[in-house]
Amino acid sequence: MDSDSILEIITTTIHSIVPDLSDTPITASDTMSQLGLDSVERQEVVILTLEAIGLEIPLVQLRGPRTIGDLAMLLHAKRKG
Amino acid sequence: MRSAKAESAPIISGIGAATAFGYGVSTFRQALRNPGNPFGVMRRPGRQAADITFPGAELPDPPAGILAARIARTTGLTGHVAAAVLQEAWRDANLDSVAPEKIGLVIGGSNTNAREHMLTRQSYASKLHFLSPQYGHRFFDTDLCGLCTSLLPIRGFAYTLGGASASGLLAVQHAADAVRSGRVEACIALGALQDLSYFECQALRALGAMGSECRPFDQARDGFVYGECSAALVLSRSGPGYGRVLGAAHIANGNRGPEPSLDGEVRAIRMALADAGVAAEQIDYVNTHGTGSPLGDDTEVAALREAGLTHARINATKSIIGHGLSAAGAVELVAVLLQMGDGFLHPTRNLENPVAPDLHWANGESFQARTALKLSFGFGGIDTALVVGALET
Repeated sequence: MDSDSILEIITTTIHSIVPDLSDTPITASDTMSQLGLDSVERQEVVILTLEAIGLEIPLVQLRGPRTIGDLAMLLHAKRKG
Repeated sequence: MRSAKAESAPIISGIGAATAFGYGVSTFRQALRNPGNPFGVMRRPGRQAADITFPGAELPDPPAGILAARIARTTGLTGHVAAAVLQEAWRDANLDSVAPEKIGLVIGGSNTNAREHMLTRQSYASKLHFLSPQYGHRFFDTDLCGLCTSLLPIRGFAYTLGGASASGLLAVQHAADAVRSGRVEACIALGALQDLSYFECQALRALGAMGSECRPFDQARDGFVYGECSAALVLSRSGPGYGRVLGAAHIANGNRGPEPSLDGEVRAIRMALADAGVAAEQIDYVNTHGTGSPLGDDTEVAALREAGLTHARINATKSIIGHGLSAAGAVELVAVLLQMGDGFLHPTRNLENPVAPDLHWANGESFQARTALKLSFGFGGIDTALVVGALET
């Protein structure tokens, strides 16, 4: 699974959590805050994505502001170990 | 002539309700007139385990559009129904005309989302790493405060209070106090839907509290039957409305478990009458706690005798809608107001051989109650009573 596939999982997850965004295209340079997700929703996107890619890591390793593309690349790197 | 105290007693200016018969006060009013049978084997996920099922009355799905999809996704049954009854009561009382900082919310009920919590535990039992962060705020009862105050401009205060099956009536007392003291201009009392899982149902059955058929005060009664419901009542200082909260009482009787207390019930009744400045003889209608519990019903009848209320007409709304636990007192108070407004008293369903044939069991007759007493008792030794007066016309 490459980081683009992970990015796609993240965007699908965002759309399922915030149905209002279903008509809004989401790109790698967006941040979830800019898209209007609140802190609980942002955390939920991260955890649901971890579950979807089967990655169990301490959440503290995923803290810090970053774009959706950055998050996809970080998860990709963690998954490769 | 009415006393100055009665003049200043808070008015119930708006109501909203949901029962197994459906959503809206008009549906509830119809059910009181023509009680059908809403009971059956409960089917909601988490309400049955293997070969164990429970009788009860379950609500239809909430009306579409009560919550936006984004909010609905993270809101359980209790929240959906709260939103429905709250919005109905809000419109009814025209609360848009009151400053948000002058509106309060008291939610009666604790552990109201037990079924939802159990389902969450089941789904994450084998994948705890991926537990939803939503659960981190949803397991608090205050999540319901947050939901309601995010949907409607309530900015005075909001809290939940626990009184087991007396929670709903206790919430009305607190809301009335908040208005009477001047803390807010309007205060909403919400009896929250108590969403039981099979765990609570089985424990209540083990306790001997939950029975097989809903027949309060009948000789064949064998316990209460659960019924999903919820209601919201708006307490205001003035305005048109359904009645006045003339007085109320809330006492601890010293029992830990489910045992009723004759002394406690009598004390609560007498204190509520004294608070209202009303004599027992002036009470013309009593809406009982009446669950169908063998000992509970006998004790309540004994309390009515001891408090000098045998002249009053009585009925048990739980016979029609089931026992809503945390919501019961609020929903049944709405039933009191509807009956006072319509000039009739609903029958007690399944009451064929009353435990006390000498009492005045209402039977769907026309009757204009002017001063009514509502009783609610809760596990943990909680006895509450509230006196409602008709508005002067």
